[in-house]
Amino acid sequence: MFLTRFRFNTARLGARRLLSSPQRLHAAIMFAFAEPPSLDGGSARILWRIDRNSRAETYLYISSPDKPDLTHLVEEAGWPETGRWQTLDYEPLLSRLTKGDTWAFRLTANPVHSIRRTAEEPTKVTAHVGRQHQMNWLLQRQEKAGFVVLEKPAERHLHHELDQYELVVHDRRQLDFTKAGQRKPVTLVTVTYDGRLQVTDPDALRQALTRGLGRAKAYGCGLMTLAET
Amino acid sequence: MSVLLLQLAGPLQSWGATSRFARRSTEAAPTKSGVIGLLAAALGRERTEDISDLAALRFGVRVDQPGTLLRDFHTAHHFVTGEAAPVSERFYVADAVFVAGVEGEDALVETLRQALAAPVFLPYLGRRSCPPSRPIFLNIEKNAGLIEALQREPWHAARWHQRRRRDERSVELELLIEAEAEDGPVDSLRDQPVSFDPLNRRYRLRGVHRPPRASVINPAARPVHDPFTALGSA
Repeated sequence: MFLTRFRFNTARLGARRLLSSPQRLHAAIMFAFAEPPSLDGGSARILWRIDRNSRAETYLYISSPDKPDLTHLVEEAGWPETGRWQTLDYEPLLSRLTKGDTWAFRLTANPVHSIRRTAEEPTKVTAHVGRQHQMNWLLQRQEKAGFVVLEKPAERHLHHELDQYELVVHDRRQLDFTKAGQRKPVTLVTVTYDGRLQVTDPDALRQALTRGLGRAKAYGCGLMTLAET
Repeated sequence: MSVLLLQLAGPLQSWGATSRFARRSTEAAPTKSGVIGLLAAALGRERTEDISDLAALRFGVRVDQPGTLLRDFHTAHHFVTGEAAPVSERFYVADAVFVAGVEGEDALVETLRQALAAPVFLPYLGRRSCPPSRPIFLNIEKNAGLIEALQREPWHAARWHQRRRRDERSVELELLIEAEAEDGPVDSLRDQPVSFDPLNRRYRLRGVHRPPRASVINPAARPVHDPFTALGSA
Protein backbone atom coordinates (compact mmCIF):
# COMPACT_ATOMS: atom_id res chain seq x y z
CA MET A 1 0.00 0.00 0.00
CA PHE A 2 1.07 3.54 -0.68
CA LEU A 3 -0.05 6.91 0.63
CA THR A 4 0.29 9.84 -1.74
CA ARG A 5 -0.03 13.55 -1.24
CA PHE A 6 -0.52 16.06 -4.00
CA ARG A 7 -0.98 19.79 -3.54
CA PHE A 8 -3.38 21.66 -5.79
CA ASN A 9 -2.44 25.00 -7.26
CA THR A 10 -5.85 26.51 -6.61
CA ALA A 11 -5.08 29.53 -8.78
CA ARG A 12 -5.27 27.33 -11.87
CA LEU A 13 -8.42 26.79 -13.82
CA GLY A 14 -7.68 23.09 -14.10
CA ALA A 15 -7.54 22.74 -10.34
CA ARG A 16 -10.83 24.51 -9.90
CA ARG A 17 -12.44 22.35 -12.57
CA LEU A 18 -11.30 19.19 -10.82
CA LEU A 19 -12.16 20.39 -7.31
CA SER A 20 -15.63 21.38 -8.36
CA SER A 21 -16.53 17.93 -9.62
CA PRO A 22 -15.84 14.77 -7.62
CA GLN A 23 -16.77 12.89 -10.77
CA ARG A 24 -13.93 14.38 -12.81
CA LEU A 25 -11.48 14.14 -9.96
CA HIS A 26 -12.33 10.48 -9.47
CA ALA A 27 -11.66 9.84 -13.16
CA ALA A 28 -8.36 11.73 -12.99
CA ILE A 29 -7.26 9.67 -9.99
CA MET A 30 -8.20 6.40 -11.67
CA PHE A 31 -6.06 7.40 -14.68
CA ALA A 32 -3.06 7.71 -12.35
CA PHE A 33 -2.72 3.92 -12.56
CA ALA A 34 -1.48 2.32 -15.75
CA GLU A 35 -2.90 -1.03 -14.69
CA PRO A 36 -6.61 -0.61 -14.15
CA PRO A 37 -7.30 -1.13 -10.44
CA SER A 38 -9.09 -4.37 -9.59
CA LEU A 39 -12.61 -3.86 -8.43
CA ASP A 40 -13.26 -7.06 -6.47
CA GLY A 41 -14.82 -6.18 -3.15
CA GLY A 42 -12.54 -8.03 -0.77
CA SER A 43 -9.17 -6.34 -1.27
CA ALA A 44 -7.69 -2.92 -0.71
CA ARG A 45 -8.90 -0.21 -3.04
CA ILE A 46 -8.07 3.27 -4.18
CA LEU A 47 -9.31 5.84 -1.68
CA TRP A 48 -8.87 9.58 -1.81
CA ARG A 49 -9.70 12.70 0.10
CA ILE A 50 -9.35 16.45 -0.26
CA ASP A 51 -7.96 18.32 2.76
CA ARG A 52 -8.70 22.02 2.59
CA ASN A 53 -6.38 23.37 5.27
CA SER A 54 -6.72 26.90 3.97
CA ARG A 55 -7.55 28.53 0.68
CA ALA A 56 -4.01 28.27 -0.60
CA GLU A 57 -3.34 24.88 0.94
CA THR A 58 -5.46 22.17 -0.61
CA TYR A 59 -4.12 18.64 -0.59
CA LEU A 60 -5.23 15.47 -2.27
CA TYR A 61 -4.45 12.29 -0.35
CA ILE A 62 -4.63 8.95 -2.12
CA SER A 63 -4.18 5.54 -0.58
CA SER A 64 -3.71 2.83 -3.17
CA PRO A 65 -2.30 -0.69 -3.59
CA ASP A 66 -0.04 0.49 -6.45
CA LYS A 67 2.13 3.58 -6.88
CA PRO A 68 0.22 6.31 -8.67
CA ASP A 69 1.63 8.51 -11.43
CA LEU A 70 0.12 11.96 -11.04
CA THR A 71 2.00 13.66 -13.89
CA HIS A 72 -1.25 14.58 -15.60
CA LEU A 73 -2.59 16.17 -12.40
CA VAL A 74 0.60 18.17 -11.92
CA GLU A 75 0.37 19.44 -15.48
CA GLU A 76 -3.26 20.36 -15.19
CA ALA A 77 -3.65 21.49 -11.61
CA GLY A 78 -0.28 21.67 -9.88
CA TRP A 79 3.12 23.33 -10.24
CA PRO A 80 4.83 21.59 -13.20
CA GLU A 81 8.17 23.33 -12.57
CA THR A 82 8.52 23.16 -8.82
CA GLY A 83 5.83 20.96 -7.33
CA ARG A 84 5.34 17.25 -7.64
CA TRP A 85 3.66 14.67 -5.50
CA GLN A 86 4.99 12.55 -2.67
CA THR A 87 4.34 8.85 -2.34
CA LEU A 88 5.32 7.02 0.81
CA ASP A 89 5.16 3.35 1.64
CA TYR A 90 2.11 2.74 3.82
CA GLU A 91 3.06 -0.79 4.91
CA PRO A 92 5.42 0.11 7.79
CA LEU A 93 2.64 2.05 9.49
CA LEU A 94 0.01 -0.59 8.79
CA SER A 95 2.16 -3.37 10.24
CA ARG A 96 3.10 -1.21 13.23
CA LEU A 97 -0.47 -0.80 14.48
CA THR A 98 -0.87 -2.45 17.87
CA LYS A 99 -3.71 -2.73 20.29
CA GLY A 100 -3.85 0.15 22.76
CA ASP A 101 -2.01 2.70 20.60
CA THR A 102 -3.54 6.15 20.34
CA TRP A 103 -3.53 8.15 17.13
CA ALA A 104 -5.01 11.33 15.81
CA PHE A 105 -7.21 10.64 12.83
CA ARG A 106 -9.06 12.39 10.08
CA LEU A 107 -11.84 10.93 8.00
CA THR A 108 -14.07 12.47 5.37
CA ALA A 109 -17.19 10.37 5.04
CA ASN A 110 -20.74 10.26 3.77
CA PRO A 111 -22.84 9.47 6.85
CA VAL A 112 -26.20 8.05 5.79
CA HIS A 113 -28.94 5.82 7.07
CA SER A 114 -31.86 4.06 5.41
CA ILE A 115 -35.26 5.27 6.48
CA ARG A 116 -38.85 5.37 5.36
CA ARG A 117 -41.40 8.00 6.27
CA THR A 118 -44.43 5.70 6.18
CA ALA A 119 -44.78 1.96 6.60
CA GLU A 120 -45.74 1.44 2.91
CA GLU A 121 -42.80 3.33 1.48
CA PRO A 122 -39.60 1.50 0.52
CA THR A 123 -36.57 2.59 2.56
CA LYS A 124 -34.37 5.27 1.08
CA VAL A 125 -30.76 6.14 1.75
CA THR A 126 -30.81 9.51 3.47
CA ALA A 127 -27.97 11.70 4.70
CA HIS A 128 -27.44 12.44 8.36
CA VAL A 129 -27.62 16.18 8.68
CA GLY A 130 -27.39 16.86 12.43
CA ARG A 131 -24.07 17.01 14.22
CA GLN A 132 -25.15 14.49 16.82
CA HIS A 133 -26.36 11.97 14.23
CA GLN A 134 -23.19 12.40 12.20
CA MET A 135 -21.12 11.70 15.30
CA ASN A 136 -23.21 8.66 16.16
CA TRP A 137 -22.73 7.34 12.64
CA LEU A 138 -18.99 7.09 13.29
CA LEU A 139 -19.37 5.87 16.87
CA GLN A 140 -21.59 3.02 15.65
CA ARG A 141 -18.95 1.92 13.16
CA GLN A 142 -15.89 2.23 15.36
CA GLU A 143 -16.06 -1.23 16.92
CA LYS A 144 -16.21 -3.04 13.58
CA ALA A 145 -13.42 -0.83 12.27
CA GLY A 146 -11.16 -1.79 15.15
CA PHE A 147 -10.88 1.42 17.15
CA VAL A 148 -12.62 3.51 19.78
CA VAL A 149 -12.80 7.28 19.77
CA LEU A 150 -11.25 8.51 23.02
CA GLU A 151 -13.49 10.15 25.57
CA LYS A 152 -12.74 13.57 26.96
CA PRO A 153 -12.37 14.11 30.69
CA ALA A 154 -15.62 15.54 32.07
CA GLU A 155 -14.15 18.92 33.01
CA ARG A 156 -13.21 19.64 29.39
CA HIS A 157 -16.73 19.14 28.01
CA LEU A 158 -18.01 22.30 26.37
CA HIS A 159 -21.44 20.75 25.84
CA HIS A 160 -22.91 17.75 27.63
CA GLU A 161 -23.88 15.78 24.50
CA LEU A 162 -21.86 17.12 21.63
CA ASP A 163 -18.50 17.25 23.36
CA GLN A 164 -18.11 13.92 25.15
CA TYR A 165 -15.50 12.56 22.77
CA GLU A 166 -12.20 13.71 21.36
CA LEU A 167 -13.99 14.25 18.09
CA VAL A 168 -15.03 17.23 16.02
CA VAL A 169 -17.26 17.11 12.99
CA HIS A 170 -16.64 19.94 10.60
CA ASP A 171 -16.59 20.99 6.98
CA ARG A 172 -20.03 19.77 6.05
CA ARG A 173 -20.51 19.93 2.32
CA GLN A 174 -23.40 19.18 0.09
CA LEU A 175 -22.18 17.99 -3.28
CA ASP A 176 -24.43 18.21 -6.33
CA PHE A 177 -23.14 17.16 -9.71
CA THR A 178 -24.35 15.36 -12.78
CA LYS A 179 -22.78 12.27 -14.20
CA ALA A 180 -22.24 12.16 -17.93
CA GLY A 181 -25.08 10.29 -19.60
CA GLN A 182 -27.36 10.50 -16.58
CA ARG A 183 -30.08 13.05 -16.06
CA LYS A 184 -30.52 12.68 -12.34
CA PRO A 185 -27.86 14.56 -10.40
CA VAL A 186 -25.79 12.89 -7.71
CA THR A 187 -26.29 14.51 -4.31
CA LEU A 188 -24.10 13.74 -1.33
CA VAL A 189 -23.52 15.15 2.10
CA THR A 190 -19.94 14.79 3.27
CA VAL A 191 -18.43 15.71 6.62
CA THR A 192 -14.92 15.59 8.00
CA TYR A 193 -14.20 13.95 11.34
CA ASP A 194 -11.12 14.94 13.30
CA GLY A 195 -10.28 13.26 16.56
CA ARG A 196 -8.22 10.83 18.58
CA LEU A 197 -8.68 7.11 18.63
CA GLN A 198 -7.37 4.05 20.40
CA VAL A 199 -6.68 0.87 18.48
CA THR A 200 -8.72 -2.11 19.72
CA ASP A 201 -8.32 -4.53 16.81
CA PRO A 202 -5.30 -3.86 14.56
CA ASP A 203 -6.47 -6.18 11.78
CA ALA A 204 -9.89 -4.60 11.57
CA LEU A 205 -8.35 -1.11 11.61
CA ARG A 206 -5.91 -2.07 8.85
CA GLN A 207 -8.88 -3.17 6.74
CA ALA A 208 -10.77 0.02 7.50
CA LEU A 209 -7.74 2.10 6.49
CA THR A 210 -7.19 0.30 3.19
CA ARG A 211 -10.79 -0.44 2.20
CA GLY A 212 -12.47 2.68 3.48
CA LEU A 213 -15.38 3.49 5.70
CA GLY A 214 -18.91 4.14 4.58
CA ARG A 215 -20.31 5.01 1.18
CA ALA A 216 -19.36 7.23 -1.76
CA LYS A 217 -15.74 6.08 -1.82
CA ALA A 218 -15.44 7.07 -5.46
CA TYR A 219 -16.29 10.65 -4.52
CA GLY A 220 -13.63 11.32 -1.93
CA CYS A 221 -15.21 9.66 1.08
CA GLY A 222 -14.05 6.88 3.33
CA LEU A 223 -10.28 7.48 3.50
CA MET A 224 -9.15 7.61 7.11
CA THR A 225 -5.59 8.68 7.87
CA LEU A 226 -3.65 8.55 11.11
CA ALA A 227 -1.16 11.02 12.49
CA GLU A 228 1.00 11.24 15.59
CA THR A 229 -0.98 12.78 18.44
CA MET B 1 -11.59 32.68 50.75
CA SER B 2 -13.39 32.11 47.47
CA VAL B 3 -13.45 33.87 44.12
CA LEU B 4 -16.54 35.23 42.40
CA LEU B 5 -16.11 35.26 38.63
CA LEU B 6 -18.10 37.72 36.55
CA GLN B 7 -18.49 38.00 32.82
CA LEU B 8 -18.61 41.52 31.45
CA ALA B 9 -19.73 41.42 27.84
CA GLY B 10 -21.73 43.93 25.88
CA PRO B 11 -21.84 45.95 22.70
CA LEU B 12 -20.52 48.96 24.61
CA GLN B 13 -18.69 49.28 27.89
CA SER B 14 -17.07 52.29 29.45
CA TRP B 15 -14.76 52.17 32.44
CA GLY B 16 -13.61 55.63 33.41
CA ALA B 17 -10.89 56.17 35.97
CA THR B 18 -9.43 59.61 35.31
CA SER B 19 -12.09 61.60 33.46
CA ARG B 20 -13.03 65.12 34.40
CA PHE B 21 -15.45 67.55 32.73
CA ALA B 22 -16.52 67.06 29.12
CA ARG B 23 -14.01 64.48 27.97
CA ARG B 24 -15.08 61.11 29.39
CA SER B 25 -12.42 58.54 28.60
CA THR B 26 -12.41 54.81 29.28
CA GLU B 27 -9.77 52.39 30.45
CA ALA B 28 -9.13 49.37 28.24
CA ALA B 29 -10.38 47.00 30.94
CA PRO B 30 -12.98 47.19 33.72
CA THR B 31 -12.00 49.26 36.75
CA LYS B 32 -12.34 48.11 40.30
CA SER B 33 -14.60 51.04 41.16
CA GLY B 34 -16.90 50.15 38.26
CA VAL B 35 -17.26 46.51 39.26
CA ILE B 36 -17.55 47.25 43.01
CA GLY B 37 -20.23 49.81 42.13
CA LEU B 38 -22.05 47.17 40.09
CA LEU B 39 -21.97 44.74 43.03
CA ALA B 40 -23.09 47.41 45.49
CA ALA B 41 -25.96 48.29 43.17
CA ALA B 42 -26.97 44.62 42.94
CA LEU B 43 -27.03 44.50 46.76
CA GLY B 44 -29.23 47.59 46.77
CA ARG B 45 -26.85 49.90 48.59
CA GLU B 46 -27.48 53.61 48.30
CA ARG B 47 -24.66 55.83 47.03
CA THR B 48 -24.07 57.24 50.48
CA GLU B 49 -23.78 53.90 52.26
CA ASP B 50 -20.54 52.41 53.48
CA ILE B 51 -18.77 50.19 50.92
CA SER B 52 -15.60 49.38 52.83
CA ASP B 53 -16.42 45.63 52.91
CA LEU B 54 -16.74 45.51 49.10
CA ALA B 55 -13.74 47.77 48.52
CA ALA B 56 -11.64 45.32 50.55
CA LEU B 57 -12.24 42.53 48.00
CA ARG B 58 -9.21 41.73 45.87
CA PHE B 59 -9.95 42.46 42.23
CA GLY B 60 -8.61 41.03 38.96
CA VAL B 61 -9.58 41.09 35.29
CA ARG B 62 -8.85 38.89 32.32
CA VAL B 63 -9.14 40.38 28.84
CA ASP B 64 -10.97 37.70 26.82
CA GLN B 65 -11.75 39.88 23.82
CA PRO B 66 -10.13 43.33 23.81
CA GLY B 67 -12.71 45.07 21.64
CA THR B 68 -12.15 48.40 19.94
CA LEU B 69 -12.20 51.98 21.17
CA LEU B 70 -15.26 53.96 20.11
CA ARG B 71 -15.51 57.75 20.33
CA ASP B 72 -18.90 59.38 20.60
CA PHE B 73 -19.41 63.12 20.03
CA HIS B 74 -22.26 63.43 22.48
CA THR B 75 -24.87 66.16 21.83
CA ALA B 76 -27.74 65.35 24.16
CA HIS B 77 -30.84 67.44 24.72
CA HIS B 78 -33.20 67.44 27.64
CA PHE B 79 -36.08 65.09 26.93
CA VAL B 80 -38.83 67.51 27.96
CA THR B 81 -37.46 71.03 27.60
CA GLY B 82 -35.24 70.38 24.59
CA GLU B 83 -32.48 72.33 26.26
CA ALA B 84 -29.00 71.31 25.09
CA ALA B 85 -26.75 69.50 27.55
CA PRO B 86 -23.05 70.37 27.45
CA VAL B 87 -21.37 68.87 24.44
CA SER B 88 -19.13 66.05 25.60
CA GLU B 89 -16.83 63.52 24.09
CA ARG B 90 -17.41 60.00 25.38
CA PHE B 91 -15.29 56.96 24.82
CA TYR B 92 -16.45 53.35 24.88
CA VAL B 93 -14.91 49.93 24.45
CA ALA B 94 -16.99 48.23 21.78
CA ASP B 95 -17.44 44.47 21.35
CA ALA B 96 -15.31 43.49 24.31
CA VAL B 97 -15.55 40.57 26.72
CA PHE B 98 -13.86 40.52 30.12
CA VAL B 99 -13.81 38.04 32.97
CA ALA B 100 -13.54 39.83 36.29
CA GLY B 101 -12.87 38.14 39.62
CA VAL B 102 -13.27 39.33 43.19
CA GLU B 103 -11.71 37.36 46.01
CA GLY B 104 -13.11 37.53 49.53
CA GLU B 105 -14.70 35.70 52.44
CA ASP B 106 -16.99 32.80 51.47
CA ALA B 107 -20.07 34.34 53.09
CA LEU B 108 -19.68 37.70 51.33
CA VAL B 109 -19.07 36.06 47.97
CA GLU B 110 -22.18 33.93 48.41
CA THR B 111 -24.23 37.05 49.26
CA LEU B 112 -22.93 38.71 46.11
CA ARG B 113 -23.93 35.71 44.00
CA GLN B 114 -27.46 35.90 45.34
CA ALA B 115 -27.55 39.65 44.79
CA LEU B 116 -26.52 39.18 41.14
CA ALA B 117 -29.30 36.62 40.69
CA ALA B 118 -31.86 39.21 41.83
CA PRO B 119 -30.24 42.64 41.65
CA VAL B 120 -31.97 45.58 43.38
CA PHE B 121 -30.54 48.17 40.98
CA LEU B 122 -29.82 46.92 37.47
CA PRO B 123 -26.19 46.16 36.65
CA TYR B 124 -24.52 47.99 33.77
CA LEU B 125 -21.06 48.03 32.26
CA GLY B 126 -19.52 51.21 33.59
CA ARG B 127 -22.15 53.58 32.28
CA ARG B 128 -25.92 53.48 32.57
CA SER B 129 -26.34 53.30 28.78
CA CYS B 130 -24.22 50.11 28.50
CA PRO B 131 -26.31 47.05 29.37
CA PRO B 132 -24.63 43.64 29.59
CA SER B 133 -25.42 41.21 26.78
CA ARG B 134 -24.82 38.05 28.81
CA PRO B 135 -25.51 37.00 32.39
CA ILE B 136 -22.93 38.64 34.65
CA PHE B 137 -22.49 35.80 37.12
CA LEU B 138 -20.16 33.09 35.87
CA ASN B 139 -18.92 30.91 38.65
CA ILE B 140 -17.64 30.68 42.22
CA GLU B 141 -14.22 29.11 42.72
CA LYS B 142 -13.89 27.80 46.26
CA ASN B 143 -10.45 26.23 46.24
CA ALA B 144 -8.42 28.59 44.13
CA GLY B 145 -6.72 31.94 44.41
CA LEU B 146 -7.74 34.88 42.25
CA ILE B 147 -5.05 34.44 39.61
CA GLU B 148 -5.53 30.68 39.43
CA ALA B 149 -9.31 31.04 39.08
CA LEU B 150 -8.88 33.52 36.23
CA GLN B 151 -6.37 31.24 34.53
CA ARG B 152 -8.63 28.18 34.78
CA GLU B 153 -11.79 29.75 33.41
CA PRO B 154 -12.54 28.76 29.78
CA TRP B 155 -12.33 31.36 27.04
CA HIS B 156 -15.49 33.49 26.84
CA ALA B 157 -14.78 35.47 23.68
CA ALA B 158 -17.53 35.53 21.07
CA ARG B 159 -17.53 32.68 18.57
CA TRP B 160 -16.61 35.00 15.69
CA HIS B 161 -13.62 36.25 17.67
CA GLN B 162 -12.49 32.71 18.45
CA ARG B 163 -12.79 31.75 14.79
CA ARG B 164 -10.70 34.73 13.81
CA ARG B 165 -7.87 33.16 15.77
CA ARG B 166 -8.57 29.62 14.61
CA ASP B 167 -4.96 29.01 13.64
CA GLU B 168 -4.01 29.17 17.33
CA ARG B 169 -4.87 26.12 19.38
CA SER B 170 -4.37 27.99 22.63
CA VAL B 171 -4.61 31.70 23.20
CA GLU B 172 -2.84 33.92 25.72
CA LEU B 173 -4.97 36.41 27.60
CA GLU B 174 -3.77 39.41 29.55
CA LEU B 175 -4.37 39.50 33.31
CA LEU B 176 -4.66 42.69 35.37
CA ILE B 177 -4.56 41.85 39.06
CA GLU B 178 -4.70 44.05 42.12
CA ALA B 179 -1.13 44.27 43.32
CA GLU B 180 0.11 43.03 46.65
CA ALA B 181 3.20 44.20 48.50
CA GLU B 182 5.44 41.42 47.13
CA ASP B 183 4.67 42.27 43.50
CA GLY B 184 7.18 45.13 43.63
CA PRO B 185 6.81 48.24 41.50
CA VAL B 186 3.59 48.18 39.47
CA ASP B 187 1.29 50.49 37.51
CA SER B 188 -1.27 52.40 39.46
CA LEU B 189 -4.80 53.47 38.72
CA ARG B 190 -7.07 55.74 40.76
CA ASP B 191 -10.01 53.35 40.97
CA GLN B 192 -9.97 52.05 44.55
CA PRO B 193 -13.37 53.30 45.74
CA VAL B 194 -13.57 55.00 49.12
CA SER B 195 -17.00 56.58 48.80
CA PHE B 196 -19.60 56.76 46.02
CA ASP B 197 -21.41 59.63 47.79
CA PRO B 198 -22.35 62.04 44.95
CA LEU B 199 -21.32 64.99 47.09
CA ASN B 200 -18.01 63.50 48.07
CA ARG B 201 -16.82 60.84 45.62
CA ARG B 202 -13.37 59.62 46.49
CA TYR B 203 -11.02 57.06 44.99
CA ARG B 204 -7.57 55.99 46.11
CA LEU B 205 -4.70 54.76 44.01
CA ARG B 206 -4.56 51.02 43.41
CA GLY B 207 -1.59 49.04 42.15
CA VAL B 208 -2.21 46.96 39.00
CA HIS B 209 0.04 43.97 38.54
CA ARG B 210 0.35 42.07 35.25
CA PRO B 211 1.28 38.45 35.95
CA PRO B 212 2.21 36.10 33.07
CA ARG B 213 -0.64 35.77 30.62
CA ALA B 214 -3.28 33.10 31.07
CA SER B 215 -3.30 30.39 28.42
CA VAL B 216 -6.71 29.07 27.40
CA ILE B 217 -7.85 26.48 24.87
CA ASN B 218 -9.34 27.85 21.69
CA PRO B 219 -12.46 25.73 21.06
CA ALA B 220 -12.72 27.09 17.50
CA ALA B 221 -9.17 26.10 16.53
CA ARG B 222 -8.84 24.45 13.15
CA PRO B 223 -7.67 20.87 13.57
CA VAL B 224 -4.30 20.18 12.01
CA HIS B 225 -3.67 16.79 10.53
CA ASP B 226 -0.59 15.62 8.69
CA PRO B 227 -0.68 11.88 7.96
CA PHE B 228 2.89 11.97 6.65
CA THR B 229 4.26 12.49 10.15
CA ALA B 230 3.18 8.96 11.04
CA LEU B 231 4.89 7.51 7.97
CA GLY B 232 8.31 8.57 9.16
CA SER B 233 9.52 11.01 6.51
CA ALA B 234 8.09 13.66 4.26
